[in-house]
Amino acid sequence: MSHANFTGLRWGKQVDVFSGSKHESDAKEFDTRGVTLAATKG
Amino acid sequence: MVLEVVASKVDREQLRDQIEAKYCDVAKKPEQGFHFHTGRPLAAMLEYPEADVNALPESTIESFAGTGNPFLLGKLHEGEAVLDIGCGAGFDTLQAAKQVGPTGHVIALDMTEAMLEKTRLGAETLGLTNIDAKLGYAEELPADDGSIDVVISNGVINLTPDKMTVMQEVYRIIKPGGRFQIADIVVQKPVDQDAKDDIDLWSG
Ligand SMILES: C[S@@+](CC[C@H](N)C(=O)[O-])C[C@H]1O[C@@H](n2cnc3c(N)ncnc32)[C@H](O)[C@@H]1O
Repeated sequence: MSHANFTGLRWGKQVDVFSGSKHESDAKEFDTRGVTLAATKG
Repeated sequence: MVLEVVASKVDREQLRDQIEAKYCDVAKKPEQGFHFHTGRPLAAMLEYPEADVNALPESTIESFAGTGNPFLLGKLHEGEAVLDIGCGAGFDTLQAAKQVGPTGHVIALDMTEAMLEKTRLGAETLGLTNIDAKLGYAEELPADDGSIDVVISNGVINLTPDKMTVMQEVYRIIKPGGRFQIADIVVQKPVDQDAKDDIDLWSG
């Protein structure tokens, strides 16, 4: 994001979004998380 | 946390074909079950208010396949111009269209026609006339420079091999002072090159 010149990057909370799905083991291997993020064009 | 722009050898056209086939199924056969969660249980997991979900058509809810709730970072304002990258069946698009109201508008972009049909159907069902559903790619956003107040996206950018191009496009179309609110997935452990080049891991 900072590469594309956005500022004020804000991360929201993380969710273990693959928990209980068939992707769970692949997701665990790479510690995959659902995240939210926001930024502003300065 | 750091966002890494990965270099991968995956063939872009082949990846697009696989993604389109997968999400055509999510649109047309949502009941079949996928490697990721979908629909109402996913919306609850991601903390979408039940009342907001219940206000959407069932055909929209059943094909929801996001990875977070971009509206937890802030609601949209009346009159805003929004672009939803990879809108899918319109789960966030329809909510965004309600939030910005008749003086605002939402461009809903997706590369999978079956998903766009569901977005159009959802808009029609709810009587929302401020949505423009467009077929296209995240790497070439269909909006003029500096014309959009807010870009939203949910579970899409992780599917694009050229994330830098997507981010540059997002930057191009946002107005100065405008914002980008997305939900996506990140990996927190190093991914080896074989995994980065494994097209099946990309398309899920
Ligand atoms: C995981 S689904 C999420 C859909 C929707 N945002 C939601 O939350 O339900 C990913 C969507 O992005 C679309 N997509 C994937 N890569 C894309 C690209 N490069 N350009 C445009 N759409 C893309 C797919 O067709 C699919 O509808």
